[in-house]
Formats: sequence, C-alpha cells, structure tokens
Amino acid sequence: MTETASPKRLNRGRRSQAGWLNRLLPWAIPGAFILIWFVISETEMVPHYLLPHPKDILATAATYIFGKAGNGAYAGRFLEDLMASSFRVMLGFSLAVVVGIPLGVLSGRLALVSRMLNTTINALRAVPGISWLPLAMVWFGIGLKTTVFLVALAAFFPIFLNAEAGARQVSPILLQAGAMMGVRRLRGTFAILLPAAMPSIITGLRLGMGISWAYLVLGELTGVPNGLGAVIMDARMLGRIDIIVVGIILIALIGRFCDLGLNQLLRLSFKSARRLQ
Amino acid sequence: MKPPLHIATPWPRSPEAPAVLSIERLSKRFETNGAGSVSVLRDISFTARRGEMICILGRSGCGKSTLLNILAGFIAPSSGTVRLNGQPVSRPGPDRCVVFQDDALFPWLTVRENIAFGLKKRPMDRARKKSEVERFLSLVGLTDFGDYFPHEISGGMKQRVSIARVLILQPEVLLMDEPFAALDAQTREEMQNLLLTLWEKFKHTILFVTHDVGEAVLMADRILLFEKDPGGIREDIKIDLPRPREKDERRFFACYRKTMSIINRL
Repeated sequence: MTETASPKRLNRGRRSQAGWLNRLLPWAIPGAFILIWFVISETEMVPHYLLPHPKDILATAATYIFGKAGNGAYAGRFLEDLMASSFRVMLGFSLAVVVGIPLGVLSGRLALVSRMLNTTINALRAVPGISWLPLAMVWFGIGLKTTVFLVALAAFFPIFLNAEAGARQVSPILLQAGAMMGVRRLRGTFAILLPAAMPSIITGLRLGMGISWAYLVLGELTGVPNGLGAVIMDARMLGRIDIIVVGIILIALIGRFCDLGLNQLLRLSFKSARRLQ
Repeated sequence: MKPPLHIATPWPRSPEAPAVLSIERLSKRFETNGAGSVSVLRDISFTARRGEMICILGRSGCGKSTLLNILAGFIAPSSGTVRLNGQPVSRPGPDRCVVFQDDALFPWLTVRENIAFGLKKRPMDRARKKSEVERFLSLVGLTDFGDYFPHEISGGMKQRVSIARVLILQPEVLLMDEPFAALDAQTREEMQNLLLTLWEKFKHTILFVTHDVGEAVLMADRILLFEKDPGGIREDIKIDLPRPREKDERRFFACYRKTMSIINRL
C-alpha cells in the first residue's frame, strides 16, 4: 500500500553509473576476440575454409538477416528462423516453469513431497539430455514436439532445484512473523515464502533459460526445416562454415538478450526481484 | 509453587486488574531421535494481569524461549492450556504479537512497508492505514527512515521497526524474546526506555524474556525466575520499585542485589 518512497531512494540498490569503464568492460573480451580473429584471418594463419574472415562473416550475416528471400541460399531467412526457434524455446521454457516452480517450492517446504520426488528427480537428472533425443524422436517425430520436449526437460532441473533450495532456506522466523501478524498459509506463500525465495528462483530461471537455448539447437539438429539450429546443421552439410559461425554468434547474442529480458521482466513484475539482488 | 516473594512495598499495577493470559499446568517434552524425550518445561502455571510487565528471567536452555513459542502458538504444548481472556489459544494470531531477538523483518520491504504489512487485510480505509503507519513510525522515532530497507539500518533501528509493526496491530499481549540482547549497551538502554515509554502509553500486557538481571529489575512488575532441568518457575518475584526507575539509584541497586541473592540461593 505504501509505494510512496522517493525515486531517489528506491534506485539506490542499482549499480552506480561509474562512467565509461563500466560500460566498456563487458565488451573487452568480445572485442579482443574479434581483433585476434581479424589478425589471424588477415595473416592467413588459419585457412579461410576453416575460419572465414570477419568481413565475410559480416557480409553473410547481413544477407542472412536483411537480404531479400530468394536472393541466395540463406538470404532473408533469419526472421522466420528466429520466430520458429523463439516459439519452441518459450513453449518448452514455460512448461518447465509451470511445473518446476510449484513442484520445487512444495518440495522445499513439505518433507513428504521432497521424500517422494528426490530419488526420482536426482536419478533422471543424471541422464544426459542427449540420451533423450532418440527416444523423443520415436515418440514425437521430427519437429516442434521433440524440440519442446527436450527444452522443457532440460530447463526443468535447474528451475526445480533452485526453487526447492530457495524455498527450503527461507527462515522459519519470517513465516512465524507472518503467522503472528495474521497471515494464513496461502497468503503467506505469496506474500512471504515466494518473495523470500525469489533470489534462488531467479537463479534457477536464468540457468533454465540458458540451457533452453542449448537444447533447442539439439532438438533442431534433427532435421526440422526452420530454426537457428536447423540452419547450422543445414550449413554443415552444405559446407557453408560462414553460416555456422553466423548461427553461433546469433545464438550467443539472443541468449544474452533473453537473459537480460528475463531479468528485466522479473524486476518489473516482482518487488522482491527488484530489491533482493 | 511457593507464594510470591515481596521486595519493597506497594505494587504499582492494580492487583485487581483482570487476568489477560492464564497459563495452566503447561508442559513440553521434545522427542529425541530414538532416545525417548527431553522435558523442557514442566508444570508451569501463572497468570498475567492486564497491563502487567512480566520478565521471564533465566539462563539459556531453561525453556523460556520454548514457553514464549507456545504462548505465541508457534508450537503446541505437550499438556496444559494457554488462555487469552478465557479462550484457549492454539495457533498464532495478531492478539499475541512477538518481537523476535533476531532480525525478522522482511528484507524486500522498506521500513514503512514492513510496519504496514500486518494492516494489509484489515478493514480500514487507505488514508487511515497510511496515517497509522506514519504515527507508529514517529512513535518509534523512525520518521526519517521510512524508505530505508532493513539491511540499510542499524540493529537498534531494526528492533524499533519490529516493535512498531506489532504495536500497530494493537495486540492484547506482547511477547518479547530477548529483543535487546544482541544490541550494544548504549542502544539497549535506549530501547529499554523506548519500550517503557510505549508501555506507559498503550498499557499492553508484556511478557519479556531476558537473561539480564539488571534489565529485568529495570523493566518488570514481576520477575518469573526460571531454572532448568526441567524448565520451570522457581520464584515469582514482585518488583515494587516506583517508576521511572533509574539504574544508579540506591533503591534500584538494593532491589538488584536482593534479586541476585534469590538467584544465587537456588
């Protein structure tokens, strides 16, 4: 009821804007990397058919992203691939969230649930995601369902485990304090338990989002017609190493962007996400 | 139990004040892994009258925190009953509020939001809630700190917030579990005075757990002296010193010495 705090004070938790160094620092490693790559290519220490020149990559990327469809092998496909891949990631990730967070919180608070789930989940967790691929292909065929299944399965574990740990570590005193102030169990879950567990839940979501992209590519390698993973696999068969590199860079950028977006969305939606980081 | 010991003369709180909290033959045993059970509290009975300040004094491990947890409704007694105004209590509620020793504020809420937390679901219009929050902020002397987060303020200030957020709910009984034990001596004295001022104003019934004899003599109308193995009340000491009490007065010191001698005799 009292969101009356002055904006100055509520912003205090933020990283201070310590000028250009802080802004530049995140780009130091990518910058150095590109510089080395440029030098290697210019001096032809590595032949171009193994590692294309940055300027060729730039040209390929431009065609792939902005080119008119039909004007070349991969021209203008980016938007369609991005849409297809994002849809699969979001679907799989959402499934993992919807199942993982409630189950994790329950398991963190109720000994019975935790006893029931722990053996199964820790056994399944030991199975590498890639071993599910053949089975998923038999069950779901090639395409959307297999990819979504793999993404959901892979994202589930970090989301579940972190929600569980977060819920378990909430100090009983906070819940007691709520109880004595007249907060019953259901409201206490949303007003106290979830906010207090929020830092862990966020960690789980971010890890889950990252792994979602990894498993998306795995799912798409199996021969779906579109998507970023499909493009990479397709390019390998055609020997278009420049497209592979473009795909890798794009996935890295999109992954980073999704992470930032997820963080921002959580901070917008939850007071505790804004304030407990 | 023996009749209460009397130190000095008349008792400031009216002995006819109605009983608010009655504890009848309360016992608590904790089951230990395979090895039977440990008796923490045995057969405790006493009555707290309206507006009384009772200090529960004892060394650590004598079950005084367990007693407070039972009164708060956080844990169930093995036997016996707790009655508030004649009604048995079994679960936590805003009529018996607790001030914890440890920091129990919600870290994602500002000081002001922490104080407003318990009011949220009360049938009261927004403006009224807001003015209540401001009133209690100023009563504990934190008007300028309403927008700070708990991790940005000192231990003493946190306890001020803890007190304000329960006083605003107008509890019948205030249960305080060594609330000032973790503070430095100067801050502790400040907080003791603040609590006494608020008590004069609101006339709550207060049960105050402490292991500090000086604190008990300064605050209490009555000291319940706990001893361990199993935990129980050994003495019920009335402290009749007039208020306000000063720690450097002869009367205070005499009272402190007498209380100490009772403790040492046990």
